[in-house]
Amino acid sequence: MDRTQLLLGLAVALFSLGLLGVIVRRNVLVMLMCMELMLNGVILSLVTFAQQTATTVGAVLVFLIFVVATAEIALAIPIVLLLVRDKRTLDLDAYSDLKG
Amino acid sequence: MIETLLQNLETLLLLLFGVCALVAAALMIVLHQPMRVALALISTMVFLGGIYGLLGVHFIAAFQVLIYVGAVMVFMVYVIMLLEVREAEGRRYSGLLLPGLAGFVLLVGAIGISIWRSLPTQHETVGSTGYGISAFSISFLNDYWLHFELTSVLLLAAVAAALAVIRISRRADNKRRHG
Amino acid sequence: MLTLIVLLPLLGFLLNGVLATQLGGNRVGKSFVTLVGCGLPILSFLLVVKAFFELRAGGYAPLIETAYRWALIGRSNFEVAFYFDRLSAVMALIVTGVGSVIHVYSVGYMAHDKSFGRFFAYLNLFLFFMLLLVLGRSMLVMFVGWEGVGLASYLLIGFWFEDLANARAGKKAFVVNRIGDAGFLLGMFVLYQAFGTLNMDSINSAFGIGAAKVVPASLVGMLLFIGACGKSAQIPLHVWLPDAMAGPTPVSALIHAATMVTAGIYLVARMSGMYLHAPEASAVIAVVGVATAFFAATIAIVQTDIKKVLAYSTVSQLGLMFLALGVGAYGVAIFHVVTHAFFKACLFLGAGSVIHALGGEQDIRRMGGLRKRIPVTFWTFAIATAAIAGIPPLAGFFSKDEILWFAFASTRGGSPWLWAVAALTALMTAFYMFRLLWLTFLGRSRMDAKVEAHVHESPVSMTGVLMLLALLSAVGGFFALPHFLEPQLPLPQVHEALHHLEKPLLVLSIVIAFAGLAAAAYVFGSGTTRAEGLQRRFAGLHRWLSGKYFIDELYERCIGRPLVWISDFVFLRLGDRVLLDGTLHSLAAIGRHGAGLLGRLQTGSLHLYAWFVLAGIVGALLWSWRHA
Repeated sequence: MDRTQLLLGLAVALFSLGLLGVIVRRNVLVMLMCMELMLNGVILSLVTFAQQTATTVGAVLVFLIFVVATAEIALAIPIVLLLVRDKRTLDLDAYSDLKG
Repeated sequence: MIETLLQNLETLLLLLFGVCALVAAALMIVLHQPMRVALALISTMVFLGGIYGLLGVHFIAAFQVLIYVGAVMVFMVYVIMLLEVREAEGRRYSGLLLPGLAGFVLLVGAIGISIWRSLPTQHETVGSTGYGISAFSISFLNDYWLHFELTSVLLLAAVAAALAVIRISRRADNKRRHG
Repeated sequence: MLTLIVLLPLLGFLLNGVLATQLGGNRVGKSFVTLVGCGLPILSFLLVVKAFFELRAGGYAPLIETAYRWALIGRSNFEVAFYFDRLSAVMALIVTGVGSVIHVYSVGYMAHDKSFGRFFAYLNLFLFFMLLLVLGRSMLVMFVGWEGVGLASYLLIGFWFEDLANARAGKKAFVVNRIGDAGFLLGMFVLYQAFGTLNMDSINSAFGIGAAKVVPASLVGMLLFIGACGKSAQIPLHVWLPDAMAGPTPVSALIHAATMVTAGIYLVARMSGMYLHAPEASAVIAVVGVATAFFAATIAIVQTDIKKVLAYSTVSQLGLMFLALGVGAYGVAIFHVVTHAFFKACLFLGAGSVIHALGGEQDIRRMGGLRKRIPVTFWTFAIATAAIAGIPPLAGFFSKDEILWFAFASTRGGSPWLWAVAALTALMTAFYMFRLLWLTFLGRSRMDAKVEAHVHESPVSMTGVLMLLALLSAVGGFFALPHFLEPQLPLPQVHEALHHLEKPLLVLSIVIAFAGLAAAAYVFGSGTTRAEGLQRRFAGLHRWLSGKYFIDELYERCIGRPLVWISDFVFLRLGDRVLLDGTLHSLAAIGRHGAGLLGRLQTGSLHLYAWFVLAGIVGALLWSWRHA
């Protein structure tokens, strides 16, 4: 098993674990963190593939993902804060106002 | 034996860091308290940074630790500290634990098989090309300047959204105080 | 010019219909309506007379005028064309002539009616369609006129539609007519398929040169006769005519005595070229005709409404006309049409005068002693009654005698049985007509006191017309119409062996007429006591006859009620509610339940949504392997 396959396997595992975490964990903040885990898995796979060409495309994409992840977390947290202030709980099952 | 160890040092370290990252990620799913989950995520990210360093892209490793751990995760930890004092317990898993696990296995299998089938035969170029930050910056600001500008637009949008959130929270505060 | 003859009454309809009714806001007064409504038909009549002289000048070669090409379908050219030959000339003269005088009569009769303008509009409309019918060259134009007179009849029978019974009578007339029209249409279809044209002159000449071998003439004859039965009130489609008396009396005179009901006779006479080759159909026509004549005469004997007596009398006389057609004496039938138009119109209008004088009374049991009070009406009615009874030398005698002679001796189906039944009918005709005369005018008065006080003679517009028609009834028989029509409608051959019986049968006809007169005088001469005695003795028969043989009830039971049942159960409950509404409701229910099912997917739980994302990714990946 060479290094590419190893790294790609790791990336897939990280991504899948992140998605699993979004599905199974109840706490809103833990779900947010699992989404960050998914992004990390993607970055790892990008870095792995970026090495295979001579251009810097992969690195640019990685950088863009950093920017997006930062902006996203900067806004997601306040939104969660506001929601929590309203519902007074961090349990996601309480946030089913969009039912039906 | 030390020679083989030193020859394959990179691969071994890669393996070590990879396993540690995986274990930390798995811990995220299992741990009860959000603060501990945050710490597990931080350790995953640090190990990943180590992997990037081993692969030769040091600037990306630096970005990972600086931006991801240093800004994002710190913010996260602050929020957990803010919000978590009241709720220590609470159930850990949602109702979809078993379907989730089944889906997880299927997903890993499906993606794994898809990637396995589509990998090209020679792939020993990992870690061979290491480029430094200067090459990256020149290319970023010359060839990919549009993407650069677009990120600034994205950040502007984030600033505007943050202002809106402030206003909403102020209104909600007023309503709760006088409503 | 022929087109103008047809269009003038239409113009009258449009003018009166728009300006003189509520539609146009009642803009014009009665004088305008009278001028347009009577003037245009009279103008039409004058044009017909002019056309007649033109025809004569041209050696009686038919005048053909094409007005308009209606449609060109394949190789068939459907035109609106008018055809004027001897037969059309006679019919058109009667239609416009008698029609015009009845219009003049209506001025006086309907003077106090609030829908004066509407009445004249409808009358003119009727005249337009009737002219289309008699002047049309193609069966298609004739059919338009056929339907149109049915429409006008419906509108006029139900003229006072606020009374529901009148509206129902109009509806009945129209529906029964339509049943007959099915036969007419089928006949037209067969003819069109055989000849590729519906022009009646072409069809007649085609039959003349031997088309009968390939076209089933009897079938077509029967089908067309079904149509004629509907329009001319023969059994079994006669039920509408007595009910049609609900309309104003001029309507009964014009439509249900003189012109519309003779449309069936005209149809058969016009298609004589075909009927000459359809012996089976002719036999059926003769039998049905004479049966109807007998049947209606028996009912007329016991009727107590003055107009109903005349209605059944009309049915009976039409039966005699069909008898003449059935034995091949087409010209004689037309002759009887003409004389019947004269005396029946006079009778109906006279009845209208009586009703007008008595302020609306129509029951003859409450009349009597009117001879001195309304003399003009009495004398004209008496002349017309004598004409219909067959007293020589009045018009009815000539035409009826010819019918009886040909019924007896024609080589095309004449037989002693037909003659016997027809003679019996003639006897009954004389009897019930004189009964009517006696009970209405003679004897002691049985009127209501209030009614009696107001008895007055009708205005000149009405009595003048009565006198004209009575004169025509008297002298009309001397126009030798069958011989005039002979070049076109040849009289049938008579059996050589029976030739010598012509004079004796003539004498017998006269005897029959006077016998009827005598019997009526005996029974009704001194009031109704003898009549009541007879009625008591034959109570069962009387009940049967005054119930009109209960045919309406039979139709209601056998046809009406099953149809209503089918409409209700099969079409409404099963077809409409279960099938159609059920289908629509089921489709809606499918939509609703499907939406309910799909709605259950949106639980509001983000975990479930994320799981769907995962499932989607797995599914997409698996699907991408199908070519692997």
